[in-house]
Amino acid sequence: MAQLPLKDVKILDFMWVLAGPGITRMLADYGATVVRIESVQRTDPTRTVGPFQDNKTDPEYSALFGNNNAGKYSITLDLSKPRAREVILDLVRWADAVCEAFSPKAMRAWGFDYESLRKIKPDIIMLSTCLMGQTGPLSRFAGFGNLAAALCGFYNLVGWPDRPPSGPFSAYTDYIAPRFGAVALMAALIHRKRTGQGQYIDQAQAESALHFLTLPLLDCQANGRKYAPVANYDAYHAPHGVYRAAGDDRWVAIACRTEDHWRALCAAMQRRELADDPRFKTFDLRQVNRAELDSIIGEWSNGHDSHETERTLQAAGVPAHAVQTSDDMWKDPQLHHRDHYVQVPHERMGQTYVENSRFRLLATPARVERAAPMLGQYNDFVLQQILGYDEDRISELVVDGVLG
Amino acid sequence: MMLAGCRVLDLTTERGLLCGQILADLGADVIKIEPPGGSPVRAMPPFFKDEPGPERSIYWWSYNRNKRGVTLNLDTDEGRAILRRLAAKADFVLESDNPGDLGRRGLAYSDLREHNPAIVYVSITPFGQDGPKATYADSDLIIMAAGGTLILYGDEDRAPIRMSVPQAYLHACVDAAAAALIAYYARLDAGLGQHVDVAAQESVGLAAQSTPLAAPIRGAETRRMAGGAKMGPIRIPLVWQAKDGQVSCVFLFGTALGPFTVKLMDYIYAQGECDKASHDKDWIAFGDLLLTGKEPMSEYERMKGVVAAFMLKRTKAELFEIARENNLLIAPVATIDDVLQNPQFIAREYWQRVENQAADGSIRYPGPFARFGATPITFRRRPPAVGEHNREIFGGELGMSDRELAELARKRII
Repeated sequence: MAQLPLKDVKILDFMWVLAGPGITRMLADYGATVVRIESVQRTDPTRTVGPFQDNKTDPEYSALFGNNNAGKYSITLDLSKPRAREVILDLVRWADAVCEAFSPKAMRAWGFDYESLRKIKPDIIMLSTCLMGQTGPLSRFAGFGNLAAALCGFYNLVGWPDRPPSGPFSAYTDYIAPRFGAVALMAALIHRKRTGQGQYIDQAQAESALHFLTLPLLDCQANGRKYAPVANYDAYHAPHGVYRAAGDDRWVAIACRTEDHWRALCAAMQRRELADDPRFKTFDLRQVNRAELDSIIGEWSNGHDSHETERTLQAAGVPAHAVQTSDDMWKDPQLHHRDHYVQVPHERMGQTYVENSRFRLLATPARVERAAPMLGQYNDFVLQQILGYDEDRISELVVDGVLG
Repeated sequence: MMLAGCRVLDLTTERGLLCGQILADLGADVIKIEPPGGSPVRAMPPFFKDEPGPERSIYWWSYNRNKRGVTLNLDTDEGRAILRRLAAKADFVLESDNPGDLGRRGLAYSDLREHNPAIVYVSITPFGQDGPKATYADSDLIIMAAGGTLILYGDEDRAPIRMSVPQAYLHACVDAAAAALIAYYARLDAGLGQHVDVAAQESVGLAAQSTPLAAPIRGAETRRMAGGAKMGPIRIPLVWQAKDGQVSCVFLFGTALGPFTVKLMDYIYAQGECDKASHDKDWIAFGDLLLTGKEPMSEYERMKGVVAAFMLKRTKAELFEIARENNLLIAPVATIDDVLQNPQFIAREYWQRVENQAADGSIRYPGPFARFGATPITFRRRPPAVGEHNREIFGGELGMSDRELAELARKRII
């Protein structure tokens, strides 16, 4: 078996919630050794958010935490205890990179800011990721990705024209920032490997996420165009929408970009006459009369299973897909073909599932073999195997309450 | 620059442009390969001042900064031969054609590897290189439906809706950049490149926040709700109406999120806008109390009404100010105009001005996606014009004479 690309990479991970741990999960998949610092007093919020295995609201049963932290080690430390500091500094000496996702100043208050760590390890890489960045008037504004998504303009792009915006699902910038964070960390690791130089990286999750809105940002300046919720309208596709399918809250998405797509859709609906209907015969007419067209398509699709419609239309070359629920995803033959779901053993749950790496390195595929760490599960491993502490020293830490 | 000396050949269509821009921002020498006459992306609206033209496409401007550009007709033998010469010395190839399309033109990973075993060849596709849906027709909406995010967006009494600015391939592009760098890191030791297969369906799935795992782990399903989400029986609002628009606010419970609700209720109580019993509820345990029926769901709904009344009395700016002073989880729902005015991005000198052929330097682009202390991202080049670097690259690097270049242009190869 080929060696994993990041087998030599060692990361000390102070991150929590979503955006930070998503970065180190990506690297752990490819062999990086990641040691998370966890607090028993302030547990990671994602341990309290579902979905929970068997609906058991237990901090070890959260699939959100489990998915974001698979393959990592962790150690529980009470950072208010002076001896916890010794452990941290030993881990800094061990690590290639230190990552943290607290609000600015937290690391400085502990004496773990970049300048301090660099004195201990001159070539360390340190990545700080937070909502708005380490500097500026909003740097202290902390919170979750829904707030950054609102400030970046994403919320105002999802909704119906006749209602207030509904916004994207949950903490949208938390699904963009981890990928840019992983890019930044990998670039710094490459630079360090080539030159020996470490460095500090300040990632403002909002600043990463705005790259997904470059087009409206430029269009707004160049043309004064306003962007407001337009439901499923699209300038390049008509018809373009989500149509009701047989069953409760079942839907199918259909997007016709070309004349061929449109004619094939009419044929599949056994409504060939629509293609030449004066209301719909050109792209522009289909846009103008889209409400009428949408209701015709919806009447047809409502009589069919969403997957059946997907297969019928795809066989005719029309872009279409069932709007997948969790259950659909689990049964999706494409995701199974790609080994998207990975079963991993878990000490409490027996077995659990996590999602695989979201991309395939075909010569050195990700190895996802371990579930996320339970609180304290790897304390001994980290202290003995990674730091080489002896039994006496570990006992002292336990007695002093450092591992609490 | 971190990727100084790395050569990237960017063959991507409109699906993949951001990937190469990220590598270019990091210092790689990215050469965008376009068909003669220019990429079809240049014909996609919107245009600068809404006047069409190959150098006026805002989509093109958005994702081609810091790249050089050449034209090359890959449908001709001569064009492909030139590409193979470039690929023999390149570190990365990026492509986003449907699976097998480049292979039919002799430009698959297996073809280019023969002359350059170190090459990292990145493919960005809707569903991946193979499998039962690999040949599916797609669009942004289709990927969102397949990836498990669309079911989470919109109002429960209407059809699911997507974000109106396409996002699916942007997610895939950043994954592709991360994957490319992991493969490159391995190459520093092993010397061998590889093929990287990125499927947009799986990339967008990250935005479903692990909710697709509900089925295999037998957990509660999440569905859409106007301005929030339904997680199992609990209806979680994220958008609230303020006096002059909307704000986003988290109003939840548990050991991690509950303390923020405690602070919010402290503030509302201090303003005299709720009674003591409402303020004194156990916000840490409230979720469990709801699920065990010790608090009826109607109590949560009533408390949401108290918070809603609090929000409605105040402007977005007032609520944001209150949030910042009291560490509450409230932020205004910004328009694109608001984003450009946000004092944070201005204070951090985030916006970058890039002059280009049509516009003066007044248009501000999103700046560095991360701030590197030792090797900062710089904006070195505006997006290339059609064939702008043909002579520099085909002449200067491959040693073609002006006469040869003219002949290639005549044959519509460049």
